[in-house]
Amino acid sequence: MWRTRLACTGFSVQQRQSQLRHASRVPHNSIPESPRMFADRQPRSFLDTGALSRLAAVPLNSRRPMLGSVSGRHTSPHRGASVEFAEYRKYVPGDDLRRLDWRAYGRSDRFYVKEFEADTNLRLCAVLDTSGSMDFGSTGITKIEYARKLAGSLAYLASQQGDAVGLSCVANTIVRNIPPKRGPAHLMNVFDILEQAQPSGETQLIGVLHELAETIRQRALIVILSDFFVEPDLLRGCLQHLRFRKHDVSMFQLLDPLEINFNFRRPMRFIDMEGGPSIFAEPNEIADRYQKALQKYADELLAVVLESAVDFHPVTLDENFEQVLMRFLVGRTRTKGVR
Amino acid sequence: MSFLQPLLLAGLPLISLPILIHLINQRRFQTIRWGAMMFLLAANRMSRGYAKLRQWLILVFRTLAIAGLIFGVARPLASGWLGLTAGGRPDTTIILLDRSPSMRQQGEGQVGTKLDTGRYQLARSLGLLGSAKWVLIESTTNTPREIESPEVLLNLPATEPSSASADLPVMLQAAHDYVKANKSGRTEIWICSDIRANDWNSESGRWATLRDAFLELTQGVRFHLLAYAQSATGNVSLRVTNVRRQQSSDGAELLVSLKLSREGVADDAEKVSVPVSFEIEGARSEATFEISGSTFEMKDHRIPIERSKDRGWGKVSIPADANSADNDFYFVFDRPAVRQTIIVADDANAARPLQLSAGISPDPAMKLAAEVLTVDQLPTVEWDQVSLVLWQAALPDGPTADAIQMLVDRGGQVIFFPTQGVTSTSFAGMSWQSWNESPDGIAIETWRVDQDLLANTQSGAALPVGQLQVRKHCGLSGEHTPLATLKGGAPLLARVTTNRGGVYFCATTPAAADSSLAENGVVLYVLVQRALGLGAAVLGNTRQLVAGDVSGEQPTAWQQLAGPPDALSTEFAFHGGVYSGGERLLALNRASAEDQAAVLADGRIAELFQGLDFARVDDKAGNLAALIQEIWRLFLVAMIIALIVEAALCLPKKVTQVVSA
Repeated sequence: MWRTRLACTGFSVQQRQSQLRHASRVPHNSIPESPRMFADRQPRSFLDTGALSRLAAVPLNSRRPMLGSVSGRHTSPHRGASVEFAEYRKYVPGDDLRRLDWRAYGRSDRFYVKEFEADTNLRLCAVLDTSGSMDFGSTGITKIEYARKLAGSLAYLASQQGDAVGLSCVANTIVRNIPPKRGPAHLMNVFDILEQAQPSGETQLIGVLHELAETIRQRALIVILSDFFVEPDLLRGCLQHLRFRKHDVSMFQLLDPLEINFNFRRPMRFIDMEGGPSIFAEPNEIADRYQKALQKYADELLAVVLESAVDFHPVTLDENFEQVLMRFLVGRTRTKGVR
Repeated sequence: MSFLQPLLLAGLPLISLPILIHLINQRRFQTIRWGAMMFLLAANRMSRGYAKLRQWLILVFRTLAIAGLIFGVARPLASGWLGLTAGGRPDTTIILLDRSPSMRQQGEGQVGTKLDTGRYQLARSLGLLGSAKWVLIESTTNTPREIESPEVLLNLPATEPSSASADLPVMLQAAHDYVKANKSGRTEIWICSDIRANDWNSESGRWATLRDAFLELTQGVRFHLLAYAQSATGNVSLRVTNVRRQQSSDGAELLVSLKLSREGVADDAEKVSVPVSFEIEGARSEATFEISGSTFEMKDHRIPIERSKDRGWGKVSIPADANSADNDFYFVFDRPAVRQTIIVADDANAARPLQLSAGISPDPAMKLAAEVLTVDQLPTVEWDQVSLVLWQAALPDGPTADAIQMLVDRGGQVIFFPTQGVTSTSFAGMSWQSWNESPDGIAIETWRVDQDLLANTQSGAALPVGQLQVRKHCGLSGEHTPLATLKGGAPLLARVTTNRGGVYFCATTPAAADSSLAENGVVLYVLVQRALGLGAAVLGNTRQLVAGDVSGEQPTAWQQLAGPPDALSTEFAFHGGVYSGGERLLALNRASAEDQAAVLADGRIAELFQGLDFARVDDKAGNLAALIQEIWRLFLVAMIIALIVEAALCLPKKVTQVVSA
């Protein structure tokens, strides 16, 4: 079923492999040699230079027009001064006479103003769930570590193409918040916060997302990295709120294989990582019902993301994060230009 | 349910092993910090109906599998008749086999008799159960004999049917004596019988003694009764009640009186014709009689014989029916011997009635002789010719007492009457006490009507004993069995227990001053004639005997003239037939009680074994289905099925991979 969702993004395995091959042909001199960015900085454990060099071949596009502060590679809802013709518009007094198309005047004896597309930059807001459940991992990597890799890599890729990058660490409230900004120094701040983010407390993702929808003023690409252990019905409101504010929303749901398969043998005592009550269970007895509950949740979540037109990416921790990001980036190239 | 290895059932608590393992497993839990608690909580909230049921089913089937294994190795038997034998294989198994004629009854539509079926079932069942030692006590000899295995029962001559009645108390006594003498360990006693009332003597006081004796045994004795109680409705039994030879105008003839009885038939049942075959030393004749009720009696059926034939034997037969043991009856005949009575009386008034009672023959063909003698004349008496002694004098002593004792030992009868002078002399442990007078007369309160001298007549009518009046009676001391008792409890007529013959004491005399015995002569006459008949039965060259009761004879010297050809010479005394012993002709037949089909009630059987470890099963003649059968295979199959079901229930459900990258 999860594979079905993948197919909904319109990106096949062959396309991903082709993109990866293309990425591998990108010359090394076009990317930094090290993820450390500055010589005096510590190397970032969540950044992989090889993966970043390959991912840099694929641009990070927005699925929606963005309202940036500077010129960039993303479409804008406004007309601008790019070389790409947009449309003719009747001259109205006050228009810049330099933009009149005299050739059109010669042909039609009417004044037309020639307009061009505007290119602007993108505001990437990464929302990192730092609740207690993100500390779980059975494959040698926890969800928070995996989320750091995804968020750090995306931040780096966005920064490299001149986009503004921001970060919000959320748990039961907004723990840390850096508004999107451009520049390497700001990126270092983002990396620092990513590195310092520690999972704890319970999830209040719903309230936090509503709050972010209100506080992020301009259109942005909002990438939410979480396990989304919340009620899908409640999540629907958040996503619609974000969409209403014309944000481009992407969701990375991080799940551990053990959480999916639930293949325990012995009786287990499950201690809630978010401070809830612990449960003693016989896995053989409860596995069926657990799978049913998980299936029901997955179905409901899929319905929510389809309704909300959210770019949804379910991820298991045993997947290569590079492939996950490549899938994400390539999927966005097909929707470039939508205004 | 019974088990051949019941000790293994001690392992039954092992069925709790799955529960223990489950509990131990529960204690070996692991702890994990878990993020996706919302699904666990949702799973806990879901209905656990099937999952819970599945867990319980798994537990049940695991338990059943262990129970099946334990029951299987305990070797269960498919019958409840053995009860739960504790301790496994017994040390000694004693088989009490009822070989009485009634055990030859066949089942309805079956070929096998009760005895054959019982032997077959015992051989199969006991062979399966096993025992360290096997002992057989059959109903003719009542002697324990060790046998190699129960299978021997099928071929042993001592287990073949006989004409002798069984005496279960005696057989049980023999079993008890064997157990006690051999100090057997745990003992099983198996009784194979048709529980006929005459064989079991349930009213005998010996049962209480036996019960106590078995209860005293410390090694533990368990009783099993294999009962064949079903009756054979319509079975006809034949009995010759009297045979007399008499001269006729053509020569000589036999007057044969016989009785035909139909078992389980009402008196108003429809008539049936029964052809009766008479065989007089090879010469056959046949007559057909119609039986309208349950019994039919034929008096003096005439069968012509040669004039010169004074002595001989015969056989009366009816066609085969449900019980072949009661279809033949043997008899012998001879010129009747003179029945001689010796009367010794001090009182002439008493002697005269006695002489008349003993001297008047009820049958013209029967010659009687009654002689009144004094004590001094007794040495001249030829005691071998005497059937009855009527003694109304001081009790004999010395040589006279010895002579009378010899007469009793030979089978003769003696009736003592009191004399006026009370002496301290005793005979057979009895002595007279003082006289008691009652001028108004004392009536007889009770008397035995079922047997002995005062029994009812053949037609069932009671003797007029109650009409007698006793004006003087003498007290009795010594161990005796009262046959008639005066009002107040004093004995009027008593019998002393002897090996053979009869010793009676009458507490009054026939003198008119003492009682109305002479006045109301019927009782005195019948009493004297019956005693005379008993005494005369042992005289002469022919004798009618009851199989199994041949005291005074020497069966080892007998030659069989008629009877079952396969009977062993050592067992002639227990098989009906005609035998010759020297110059004597002897006819052996089943006891008359064998013709009565009364069966002990279930409750009565339970009472007899009350307090003892007793189990009973009812079988039918001709039943070839095994009474017990090992069914461990069923339990092992059940165990395998339980394991398969348990494995199927434990199979993990095909899990749908909900989330995959």
